[in-house]
Amino acid sequence: MGRYITRRVLQGFLTLFLVMFLLHLLTTLAIQLNGNPAQAFFGDRTPSPSQLAAVETRYGLDDPCYDQLGNPCIGPFVERLGDYAQGDFGESLRGRPVTDIVSTAAPNTLRLFVVVTITWLAIGMTLGGIAARRRGKASDHGIRGLSILIDALPIFVLLLVYKYIFSVPLSRWAKDTFGSDSLPALLFKPSFSPQHAWATLIVPGILLGLAGSAAFIRLVRAAQLETYNADHVRTARSKGLSERHVSRHHVVRNSAIPVVTAVGIVFTEALAGAVITEGMMNIYGMGGVLWKAVQDSDVSVVIGVVTLLAAVTVVVMLVVDVVYAALDPRIRYE
Amino acid sequence: MTTDPTRDGTPVPLLQVDDLAIEFATPDGVVRAVDGLSYSVSAGRTLAIVGESGSGKSVSSLAVMGLLQQPPARIVRGSIRFGGTELLSLGQKAHRAVCGENIAMVFQDALAALNPVHTVGWQLTEALRARHGMSRRDATARAVELLDLVKVPNAKQRVKEYPHQFSGGMRQRVMIAMALSMDPEVLIADEPTTALDVTVQAQIMRLLSEIQAERQMGLILITHDMGVVANVADDVTVMYAGRAVEQASVFDIYAAPAHPYTRALLGSIPRLDQKGGGLAVIPGRPPDPTQVPAGCAFHPRCAFAEDVCRADPPPPTVSLPFDRTSACHFAEEVMNHDEH
Ligand SMILES: Nc1ncnc2c1ncn2[C@@H]1O[C@H](COP(=O)(O)OP(=O)(O)OP(=O)(O)O)[C@@H](O)[C@H]1O
Ligand code: SF4
Ligand SMILES: [Mg+2]
Repeated sequence: MGRYITRRVLQGFLTLFLVMFLLHLLTTLAIQLNGNPAQAFFGDRTPSPSQLAAVETRYGLDDPCYDQLGNPCIGPFVERLGDYAQGDFGESLRGRPVTDIVSTAAPNTLRLFVVVTITWLAIGMTLGGIAARRRGKASDHGIRGLSILIDALPIFVLLLVYKYIFSVPLSRWAKDTFGSDSLPALLFKPSFSPQHAWATLIVPGILLGLAGSAAFIRLVRAAQLETYNADHVRTARSKGLSERHVSRHHVVRNSAIPVVTAVGIVFTEALAGAVITEGMMNIYGMGGVLWKAVQDSDVSVVIGVVTLLAAVTVVVMLVVDVVYAALDPRIRYE
Repeated sequence: MTTDPTRDGTPVPLLQVDDLAIEFATPDGVVRAVDGLSYSVSAGRTLAIVGESGSGKSVSSLAVMGLLQQPPARIVRGSIRFGGTELLSLGQKAHRAVCGENIAMVFQDALAALNPVHTVGWQLTEALRARHGMSRRDATARAVELLDLVKVPNAKQRVKEYPHQFSGGMRQRVMIAMALSMDPEVLIADEPTTALDVTVQAQIMRLLSEIQAERQMGLILITHDMGVVANVADDVTVMYAGRAVEQASVFDIYAAPAHPYTRALLGSIPRLDQKGGGLAVIPGRPPDPTQVPAGCAFHPRCAFAEDVCRADPPPPTVSLPFDRTSACHFAEEVMNHDEH
């Protein structure tokens, strides 16, 4: 197990490095093609050459390689790696350290993902499990129909409907009934509030999770159905164990393996949904920060945030791999 | 369960199957997988069930264990009694509970039949813990004993390992140990050695018959291998297309088979000096289960077939001397036919 984890961690670092390098090449190319982003610092004003030079130096854009199309700019890349290694992630165009921005924004995104993942698993395991157990019956058909319906509803439609139709009357009712700072009132608040980060994130997180849950419902159903007919489950039944025991220790336990793998795969997809959700619900998170930084050509922020998102993804993959190995001894002892 | 002989000296059977018929609903129509099967096993006796692939050996055993998936399967009629209890009228849950305590099954493919994510020790004592409330520590000790019993070396270490870390032969020993964990009175072994190579096959068979003799279990041995039957069985049931075509003691059946199919099977015992062999030597193929021939199901392949065989099915049991039966119009002629 130790060796397996070490190997995965090293692979994770390698992936992260490759992502950073790719990102560097892309931004370099963008700068070389579109001109100097230091210009963005001045908005509509036209800076004097010395002002522009000062800003270029400050954001590490003064290297001549940025003027040579096709130059990979290895120098600045190595420099940036060195800075990152010392915990210096640069500053935004407004002079706020990227680490500062990220440390405010990232926890909200992580909270969102926690809610999303729990929703995926809860909906997937419950509905998928019921559908598998009652295969071919009305509830199975109903759940499969529901999963198609969920697929047909993109996250922004869910959010729009929630925000503009349900959220306002619900939160008004909750305020009148329980008081304006009560948990129900916060739960249904139409927009994010930094003072009550968890409470105001739960509903958007559940909606984002719901939007991605169809795949989990189908996956859990398929995985459990396959396991129900597996030889080893028949062996367990031959021991005279209750169907509940067999289901818990053999069917659900064994079919959890593909489901955990899927969490890792779907996670990156959910990043895209997070950008939309954060935008629509005014959540100050990584997605929103990134969106704005791209609009403002804020190179340091873009690179810093994307690097961090890549790091988070790598960590999630790592966690998934470790859980996977914990669930499946055939992987652990390969 | 009693093993006292009745007044006339024959032992009271532990497990008795009577006129069992099982159908499957398939897209091609209804398949009668087992049709009027009867047999019984007593303590300390070994019943071999032999027959080609698809003859209904596994399906009938699964029915005994309450493990048939219904649907697609349906038990049309018949009775399965353990001791004095009619298992088929119990309902699936109680049926399985009785089997869990009294009847154990060793499945054909041990790798698939063991759960890959639990340790061997965990699986060996799962029933003891879940059904008898055995503590974890006692269970571990018991698991080691069970592995010792089936002669898995280094048992203390191996109970902590997973099925994929065992060789094929060792895995089958684990299966056997697991089946023994609840001290069953009847053990059903469904082709316990087909996946193994010849020397390991012999070891496993020896182990099984040793354990059976020691514990005086009733053993049902399902096999393709007439050579194995001769070595370990007391009684033999030969199945063809879902029916028992011949039932007799192992001595009688080898001395003078009373059904042409048995005769053909015996002619096809693979010899060590021959490659392949097995049952493929019998000309023709077993019937398509959706289209069993009229008359005697075996007639297209039978060397003894006459017109009557194509028209009328033979009586299901022609009684012969020595308590044996054969489902053949010409049972006595076949039995007395001499050319081996
Ligand atoms: N799930 C199923 N659905 C439909 N038919 C089935 C099913 N399971 C078994 N059968 C039918 O039952 C018949 C008997 O099958 P069974 O598994 O008992 O054969 P067997 O004698 O054990 O053969 P083998 O030696 O290959 O194990 C087969 O002909 C098959 O057509
Ligand atoms: S009844 Fe006829 S066809 Fe069937 S086994 Fe006997 S002789 Fe052969
Ligand atoms: Mg079989």
